[in-house]
This record gives sequence, structure tokens and C-alpha cells, in this order.
Amino acid sequence: MIKALAMEFQKIRRRKVWAIVAALISVQILLALWGVDRMDAHELSQGWMHFLYQFPILNSIMMPVMAAVVASRLCDIEHKGQTLKLLHTVMPAGRLFAAKFLCGALYMLAAALLQIMVIVSAGLVIGFEGSPPLDKLLYYLLFTTAVNLTILLLQQVLSLLFRNQMIPLTVGIIGSFAGLFIMFFPQNLGRFLLWGYYGVLMFVGLDWDRATRIADFYYVPVDWTGFSILAIMFCMIYIIGRALFIRKEM
Amino acid sequence: MFLRTLWAERMKLHHSPVWLAFLILPVLPAVMGTFNYLQNVGILQDQWYSLWTQHTLFTCYFFLPAIIGVYCSYLCRLEHLNHNWNAVMTAPVPVSYVYLAKLISASVMVLLTEAWIGILFFISGRLCGLNTPIPPELPEWLLYGAAGGIVICALQLCLSLVIRSFAVPVGIALIGGVSGLAAFAKGYGVWFPYSLLCLGMRANQPGGAMQSSTEQFVLNGLLYLAVCIIFAVIWLKKRDVVAG
Repeated sequence: MIKALAMEFQKIRRRKVWAIVAALISVQILLALWGVDRMDAHELSQGWMHFLYQFPILNSIMMPVMAAVVASRLCDIEHKGQTLKLLHTVMPAGRLFAAKFLCGALYMLAAALLQIMVIVSAGLVIGFEGSPPLDKLLYYLLFTTAVNLTILLLQQVLSLLFRNQMIPLTVGIIGSFAGLFIMFFPQNLGRFLLWGYYGVLMFVGLDWDRATRIADFYYVPVDWTGFSILAIMFCMIYIIGRALFIRKEM
Repeated sequence: MFLRTLWAERMKLHHSPVWLAFLILPVLPAVMGTFNYLQNVGILQDQWYSLWTQHTLFTCYFFLPAIIGVYCSYLCRLEHLNHNWNAVMTAPVPVSYVYLAKLISASVMVLLTEAWIGILFFISGRLCGLNTPIPPELPEWLLYGAAGGIVICALQLCLSLVIRSFAVPVGIALIGGVSGLAAFAKGYGVWFPYSLLCLGMRANQPGGAMQSSTEQFVLNGLLYLAVCIIFAVIWLKKRDVVAG
């Protein structure tokens, strides 16, 4: 397995997959940091919650596309070089599937870790009240990575099954769009849509007073049911996607 | 000759499901945006204008540029695969025709999408019970939106021409859309190609005038279009093709 993973990194050695991930995550971070230097005392006291509220929303716009791009980059090499048949003769298809997923997952994990680092360092530099809420940040990391990886998995299945990369990317963009919109709907609806889980697993709420224009953030209980459904979805996509890939004519 | 090139592009897209994306994409905001509008009628009091914002805001910042990116990537991928550049470049057709034919195919798609957005807007407005006549500016919004979309098409085609990957230009389109939001907020919208779409569609404040003057909008659009066309022609003329 280690060998298979090393092979994946060999294949993308000069493809600079990290470049597009870095570009997307930088834009997202810049967008998140916009205006934080003008925070007043009330906002500074809620700074950590502000970030934990804002990042999931930005994630639902950027992360699905990032996952689609990463998955497509990793899988498209095999279609372009018509190497699937060849690979099939030297390694089990299931292992190739797992190696590709792990390789993409490392990129997505790195992106989420970078976000955490930026949240913590930006918070300390700007002077948010209190020390970084480590437990909340860990929850954030867990939930973001869980949704990212499930979407990445779906994208990988689509990218492997269809030679035409237009299909997985379109699914990714439209899914992301629906995921963003579904945040404005009651939370239960979001559970029916994989891309809606950035919103479902958000644990900070916002009260915005129109009259005073004051925003008040507050913590809400974590939706562990939602998380369990997501975990089940992940397992199902993995089992079905892997079976479809193994049975596909290479 | 040019018409034949255009026809050839059309034939290449025959039976490709790529148009389906443009059909589905505007339906999402039409359904969900309308629902959101109905839930917040108390806050959103500008009727047609509020509904328009709900329909177009996210669409033209994030998702329409990305879908245009997919379409342009697809148009170029047809040539990147199967050693097709060899065939294209040895055909007795000026290279500018090849690029322009692709640009026109993409532009037609953008125009159809804008028309579709307009139709959906009208239907959902009526379903919401808005009985006042539709805003007289609607054709203008759609037309300027299409103009902005065509500029994005030209730019994305250049990117897809240079970058042989399918997915990377799509990522860049999303980055462009998000940065467009920043450029727009800072007041430089008219100078940033990706913001021209939402600027033209007045997604932010449909009631008022455009952030820039119309002349400036048209002039910058034409400028970016010209730069992209010249770049693409020079690139195709000077660079040796990589076929494979």
C-alpha cells in the first residue's frame, strides 16, 4: 500500500497539484481575513466564533471545487495515458483506488490544517479575546476534513468512471452551489445533500439585529446525528464506488 | 470558410451533454432563491429587484464563471486529446478562425443561459405573486451580463489553450469569480474581467445605475476581448503544438 501511494506521488511529481490547492486556499483565506483589522471590541470578544462561523460558509463555496479539481487531476492522468489496463495487470484495482484516495486526501487535509494555522495565528495577531478554543478548533478540523474527504471520494469515483472530466467537475460545481443555498433552509434539509454538510456540521450560530446592526455569535450543540449520517455516506460511497471501479472495463 | 469552422465546432459538440450543465445551473437559484425570497419578504421589500438579487448574486460571482470554465476546458480538451492539434494546425484554416469559432460557440451558450435566466426569473416572479410588470431593465441586465460572460469565455479559452489540464482552468475560474467579489467591493469591478459578469447583471443593486459608466464597461470588455484574441492567435501561431 505504501508503495502504491508512493507511486501516486511519483505520477504527479511535476504536475504541481499543490499549486491549484494553494491558490484556492490562499484566495479563501484572504477573503476570510478581509476587514478583520477593523474589528471593534465587541467583535474582538467574539473573534474565534466569527472565524468558526465564516470558514464553513467559505468552505462550501471553495472546497467542493478544490476536491473536484484534485480528484480530476489525479484520475485524469490514467485516462490520458490509457494506463488503467496496464495498471490492472500489476496491481489490484482496489488498491489503486485506495492509493489515489489517500493521495488526494493528504492534499485536502493539508488545506484544512493550513486553515487552522491561519485562524490561530490571525486570531493571536489581531488580539481576539481569550486563548484559542482548542476543542472547537479540533471539532472544526474533524468536521471540515470529514466533509472534504467524502466529497473528494465521490469526485474520485466520478472522475475514474467517466473519461469525460466535464461530468465530475459539473457535478462538483452544481453540488457546491446547492450546498451553499441549502444553508438558508432549515438544517434538516441539508442532511439530504452531501454538499450541505458544511452547514449541517457548523456549530456556531449568528443572531443579527437589523436595528442595531450588531452581530451576536453563539455556540450550538454539535449535530452528531448528522456526523453519523455523513460517516455512513462515506462508507457507502467507498464500497459502491470501489466495486463499480473494479468492475469497470479498464 | 469561417462558417465551416464554426460548423465543425458545432459538430464536435454533437451529442455532448455539456449544455445540460447550463440548463440545470440557473434552475437552482431560481428554485432556492425564490424560496428564500418568499421566506424573507419582510426584509426584501423591493419585489422584482429583491428577487433578482436572490437569483443572480451567487450565480454570477461563483458558479457561472466556473461553469463557463468547464465549457471552455471541454472545447479545448477536444483538441488536446487524440493528437488532434496536429490535425487542427495542418488544416487549411487560419488559426484565428479556430479560436474565434470556439469563442462564438461558448458565447452562444452564454447568451442562451442569460435568456434562460430571464425566463426563469419571469416565471418564478409570477409564481411568487408579483403582479407588477417586470422591471424594464431586465433585457439590459441580461444583455450586459452576456457581454461580461463572453469576456470570461475569451479569457478561459486562453487559459485552457495554454494549460492542458481540464480541471485547473476551472479552479482558476472560481478563483477569478471570488477575487471578482473583492474587486467589485473595492470599486475596481470594471477593471477585473471576472467581475464584468456580475457588474453587467447588476446582481448587487439592480435598482440603481452600474458601478461604472456604460461606456467604461463596454470599452473594458472590448479591450479584454481584444487582448485575449490577440494572445490566443499569437500563441497558436508561435508555439509548437503538444499533441498527445
